[in-house]
Amino acid sequence: MKRISLLFLCLFLMMAWLSGCATFETEKKAVPYRLTAQGTVIWEDEFEFLPPPPDWKLLRVEGEGGDIDFGFTRSDPGTFPSMTTFAYDEEPFGCSTKFEDREREFFKRFLFNAILQFRVLEKKKAQVLGGEGLEVVVEGKDPVKKEKVRAKVVFGKRGERIVGFYITQWRHLDGTYDLSAFEVFDKFVKSFKLLKKSFYETL
Amino acid sequence: MEGHQRNLYLYERFNARVLGVSRDDVITLKYFANSLDLTFPLLSNVTSFLGVSVDAQLDGRPIFSRRTVIIDKAGIIRYVRNGSPDFKDILLFLKKLNQKGRLDPTTGGKP
Repeated sequence: MKRISLLFLCLFLMMAWLSGCATFETEKKAVPYRLTAQGTVIWEDEFEFLPPPPDWKLLRVEGEGGDIDFGFTRSDPGTFPSMTTFAYDEEPFGCSTKFEDREREFFKRFLFNAILQFRVLEKKKAQVLGGEGLEVVVEGKDPVKKEKVRAKVVFGKRGERIVGFYITQWRHLDGTYDLSAFEVFDKFVKSFKLLKKSFYETL
Repeated sequence: MEGHQRNLYLYERFNARVLGVSRDDVITLKYFANSLDLTFPLLSNVTSFLGVSVDAQLDGRPIFSRRTVIIDKAGIIRYVRNGSPDFKDILLFLKKLNQKGRLDPTTGGKP
């Protein structure tokens, strides 16, 4: 009798466990993206891009006014703060619709809290989103916290407005940068396509 | 404020003008405008009279807290929202108002 009771208990627990699995499956939240057969990601039917390798985690930030900001982040080996993050930004800092002016405005506030003095390593015109764009590579150092950051910012146009992509790689002052992360970022930017007009273009 | 500056070309398209109103003093506002490269006027409203004069003062509050107010050409308040501005909502509202002719300077605010 005791053995039969134990058997029923085991069966009940197994049923409960399986029904729990089913519940988890139905409670999955809808994600704002889908994968294509070509290996690209379509984000909210608005953007298409090549995602980074699986060791990069998705990062999503609600921008001011509901604009879309998303990116990817990765913890790097080494002492704090070894981390790389890149993102698409619908409304990068600044207001100007001219690239050179926007770059000046942007770097007034980029990583503002870190209080870094940036040194421009490279600046060049580039093809971005199928049109004219600007790429700027900078490095900032904080000798007090003994941290440094290498960043690349890419400005492009979406309609009349400037949009941006940026990557930041933080390291201890004595650390070395991993430039392969910048190659992943470059592939992301190069693959990025706008699938429809922005809200502002439809007004 | 930066969002308004980005949208200036759209406000112009909808025959709208933007004014920033703050209780800060003029020197602080000049510094603020300069730091954000703002080109539209900022009004120093240290005594909060402006909120009272356009009847946009929150009841029971001595200060004009963060609000977005859209006033048409005839001086009628058409839109009031508290908190951070919802720029897309503002633009859609201005577009609608402009289509109705309420912000068209040539019609004196009449639809």
